[in-house]
Amino acid sequence: MDTLIKRISSSFRDPCGFLFVEDGNLFRSVNILYQKNYDHLIQSGLYNKLVEDKLLISHKEVHLSGIDHDSIYKIIQPDLVPFISYPYEWCFSQLKDAALTLIKIQKQALEYNMILKDASAYNIQFYQGKPLLIDTLSFEIYKNNHPWVAYRQFCQHFLAPLSLMASSDIRLGQLTKIYIDGLPLNLVSKLLPISTWFNFSLLSHVHLHAKAQKRYGKKTSSFAVPNISKQSLFALINHLESTITSLNWLPAGTEWVEYYEDTNYSQEATNHKKQLVETYLSQCKASTVWDLGANTGVFSRIAMQKDADIIAFDADPAAVEINYRHVRENKESKILPLCLDLTNPTPAIGWANKERLSLAERGPADTLLALALIHHLAISNNVPFGHISAFLSEICHFLVIEFVPKNDSQVQRLLSTREDIFYHYTQEHFEAAFQNNFSILKRDKICTSQRTMYLMEKRNEL
Amino acid sequence: MLENRQFKIFISIVFIQLISSKQVFAYLDPGTGSYIFQVLIAALIGGLVTIKMFWRKIINFIKNFFSTKH
Repeated sequence: MDTLIKRISSSFRDPCGFLFVEDGNLFRSVNILYQKNYDHLIQSGLYNKLVEDKLLISHKEVHLSGIDHDSIYKIIQPDLVPFISYPYEWCFSQLKDAALTLIKIQKQALEYNMILKDASAYNIQFYQGKPLLIDTLSFEIYKNNHPWVAYRQFCQHFLAPLSLMASSDIRLGQLTKIYIDGLPLNLVSKLLPISTWFNFSLLSHVHLHAKAQKRYGKKTSSFAVPNISKQSLFALINHLESTITSLNWLPAGTEWVEYYEDTNYSQEATNHKKQLVETYLSQCKASTVWDLGANTGVFSRIAMQKDADIIAFDADPAAVEINYRHVRENKESKILPLCLDLTNPTPAIGWANKERLSLAERGPADTLLALALIHHLAISNNVPFGHISAFLSEICHFLVIEFVPKNDSQVQRLLSTREDIFYHYTQEHFEAAFQNNFSILKRDKICTSQRTMYLMEKRNEL
Repeated sequence: MLENRQFKIFISIVFIQLISSKQVFAYLDPGTGSYIFQVLIAALIGGLVTIKMFWRKIINFIKNFFSTKH
């Protein structure tokens, strides 16, 4: 029977249950092994409390005919998260908020005599603008005086990257892409500045923790678990919370974050561009929009007014940080800002390269916004128009794209320090290349500017 | 002298906790070092919290004592 169920490729580690797809809907099996814990989660009121506080994904229990397995206790259907994102795509504050959400859940769970049995960052997703635990089976009944099984995982998945991003360099957050089960603490300890040894929180949870792992890591004999009182456990959780809260990073001075103040656009041209984006989006009636090179999300917010779900991608962690803070402050539930370098988009990683999906595997979007982007791809990164067109056609149905000609001051700036080898960088070549994959539906010159906006629709493959 | 005694008591508590323990099985590897370290750091932080609360009580008592005298 198990072979008939289409399991989600990332759902195989936890023996308590697994995710599967049936008729295009997502379900989670709750295995017999987890029965006692599941019943406690529901009957104790913890589930209702967490769902009410928007900390845990809501689900309904369902009966699926044809799925009747000895090892399955119940089948639940969780609410669907429209877009699954990964820690290496989050900005600093997204990872920090995810960590604090998990701590909040842990404290709540302990009040109901349960505890988190894992603390994976992948179990947190951004849903309607806020972090949310999506793994309903993450809880187990608290056993008196037992330590927290997931302490190591919490430190490696959250505290380690956050401390590196805050104290060393924001770009070190990308290490989470290499170390799928969290950053090795001995590596983090090496990379953190010496000053962090004088910070009691980082000294204990990172540096000394790493030393303890090294000292006791090679013990192979059966291991007896030491006792820890509930009071001490609460103190530990509170300390982790204050440690995470104290970590901060302020976005400033990166390449793109001042971009909007530094363009050759007149106010009139900006307004016209906004108006064109709005008209095009109305025409394609998109429910999902991916804004590539969204910066701080000025144009994403036009799509938001059209009631679309928007993913605002940008390569600059500072721009994503500013965008996310804006989302959080204004409680914008439709925009998800994410870090993405389009010249090297998120790959598929993990076991068999199927555990965490690539960008393209999580698409296609109804509509792509590619505004003031083409010159960065074609000139800064030497990607031919044909390659850009082919890739964009894989991840969308409609494309709103802006062509920036060579005489534009932004392009001239890119060419100022290098030889102009881009003989094919013309509007004619651009249109010809894109027409291999798209039909041009609309073409409008942006007033008082050299730039042109296009609305294109992907050609149906024969 | 008193501080030394308190430290000895603290170490004894941690030691007793370490030896009076039981087997556990989890699908996640908690890491031996992480487990042992967690117990030590939690005991230390828990102890500090208790001392902090106790200290606050003393300060409040002194404050109240003097304010009532006034």
